[in-house]
Amino acid sequence: MPDTLTIPSSPAQPGGSPAAGGGGLPRLLPPAGAAPADLRAHLARHGALRYAGGRGRLTGEVAAAGLTGRGGAAFPVARKLAAAAGARPAPVAVGNGAEGEPASSKDASLLWLSPHLVLDGLQLAAEAAGAPSAVLYLRPGQRLHARLAQAIAERAAAGIDAVGVALVRAPDRFLAGEESALASRLAGRPALPAYRPARGLPRLAPARSALVQNVETLAHLALIARHGAGWFRQAGTAAEPGSMLVTLHLPDGHTTVAEVPLGIALADLLGLAAGQPGSGEPGVSCGPVPVQAVLVGGYHGTWLPAAQAARLPLANAMLRPLGAAVGAGVVAALPAGRCGLAETARVARYLALESAGQCGPCFNGLPRIAAALGHLAGSRPDRRAVTDLERWAGLVTGRGACHHPDGSVRFVRSALRAFAAEIGLHEAGRCSGTDPRPFLPLPADPPSSDADWS
Amino acid sequence: MTGITHGTALWYASRATGVVTLVLLTAVVILGILVNRRGRLPGLPGFAVTGLHRNVSLLAVAFLAVHVATAIADPYVTIGLAATVLPFAAAYKPFWLGLGAISLDLIAALVVTSLARGLIGRRTWRGIHWLAYACWPLAVVHSLGSSADARGGAVLGVLVACVLATAAALAWRLSAAARQIPRARRAAVTLHRMSPSPARKAGL
Repeated sequence: MPDTLTIPSSPAQPGGSPAAGGGGLPRLLPPAGAAPADLRAHLARHGALRYAGGRGRLTGEVAAAGLTGRGGAAFPVARKLAAAAGARPAPVAVGNGAEGEPASSKDASLLWLSPHLVLDGLQLAAEAAGAPSAVLYLRPGQRLHARLAQAIAERAAAGIDAVGVALVRAPDRFLAGEESALASRLAGRPALPAYRPARGLPRLAPARSALVQNVETLAHLALIARHGAGWFRQAGTAAEPGSMLVTLHLPDGHTTVAEVPLGIALADLLGLAAGQPGSGEPGVSCGPVPVQAVLVGGYHGTWLPAAQAARLPLANAMLRPLGAAVGAGVVAALPAGRCGLAETARVARYLALESAGQCGPCFNGLPRIAAALGHLAGSRPDRRAVTDLERWAGLVTGRGACHHPDGSVRFVRSALRAFAAEIGLHEAGRCSGTDPRPFLPLPADPPSSDADWS
Repeated sequence: MTGITHGTALWYASRATGVVTLVLLTAVVILGILVNRRGRLPGLPGFAVTGLHRNVSLLAVAFLAVHVATAIADPYVTIGLAATVLPFAAAYKPFWLGLGAISLDLIAALVVTSLARGLIGRRTWRGIHWLAYACWPLAVVHSLGSSADARGGAVLGVLVACVLATAAALAWRLSAAARQIPRARRAAVTLHRMSPSPARKAGL
């Protein structure tokens, strides 16, 4: 992962004024233009960290707030906290900042700009679990590590932490933050997903489990402890309360991190408007740039045609029936003039190469699927490639130890639907892509040896 | 002793089941090697090889039970019950029968740990399962040493065939292990195989 960080702009810049729902956004990030928060600035803005006063005490408030995990799975945090409070011996509290998804930079931005909010939340998670120690699992990047190490030292000097926090570097792999891969890394082994998914909390050792929460989830936890569930619910919808960080890939090529209320219209989020600029033609555009499709949920997410996406909110309640999900908040608007099939083929190839090579359906199936997509992205593809893709997708789904094959296949299948017209064009020997530059971000090097997972 | 009579029936039964057990054990070892290296048999899916390995093992145990029971029951030589499990405790050919007893004990350990694999954990089971490689040669030497008809004729032919088949399987296992693709490269290798050359050039 490059050592560059996106400085978030206010969400009002790309689209409208989503903060109108109340609750005062941004909550997690400093207001636009403010410098990254050191401990003094953090305390001045948010006040002192309020511990709940004992193991399991925070669970009720978090349940009332309806906070869900912001790492992608949207699992209710209160249920994990309750499981951790009941676990004997007490689990280790882990903040997951691996952020292996190349299209996401919200965790790195949060850690860079508001490290103390995350560290507050990690202390609260440790308290809720009765944890003897805590770990912050970070994506590679020397500047980020140095910053977090400095923040931890500041807190130690101020004496505000109840348990010590160790920094652990995650390998630069897509699956490094997968919970069982994280557990394996913390146990001193390569960060590979477990063959057999463990039930309940992941285990670091036979007698030691872990309470793993995404770093953004921890930051929300720190604010819920201070301001309560009612305050948290002032943003978002009743079913999906609160705000969340999103990484936006805008059609003009800019990437930005923003904090928005859940349930915000994708049209507001991306600044989508009906109609092509400069003409009365139907379609969807973002400023002067026409948009053809929107990717919601990152590389395990779903392509939606732009017209459909423009009518949808960023909420699982509306996205799940369409086979999509908010995920970790990656939203990309693909401009017209780029080939959606070529984009999908590039990402599918990356996803295949990021297979941990453990489960046959994954390391045999995903490369086949990626190769077939590469074929479709070329000129005059064989029609059978589509039926092959559908068949292989069915054979792969649900047969891996982790969710990597399922997520990758969901992404590919959605492309076959969203870019069906493009497939027709390619069969006729044409392509709507006029700009050959890649749009979606991908890292350069696939793993070449097993050491790349450590 | 040229035909099967009332008095020699058990003696023949014991030797015949011994030979069959050895053939079955050889099949079990070869199937086990296939399972370990994810090898396939023509027309069978991967999981069926595992199923065959297990079922042939249990069949071998059944024949082994008859082999041991008939050897004890046979009045021609006296082999106590204890001598079938305690090595070198037999009055008759103590060394050669002792090897058979060790082999029997190892098979018992392999079967019990395999049935209790869920309880003892995969790693322990795997460690104990390596004993299979000690068990099979012991059974072969036991056959050669304790039975006069294994030194020539058809029985010797069967023995030699078993040894050759196992040696071939073992050689294949070692070469397959040497050819094994590291985990991190598996998807890349499949991708390379799948991609037509123009797409490969374009980096897709």
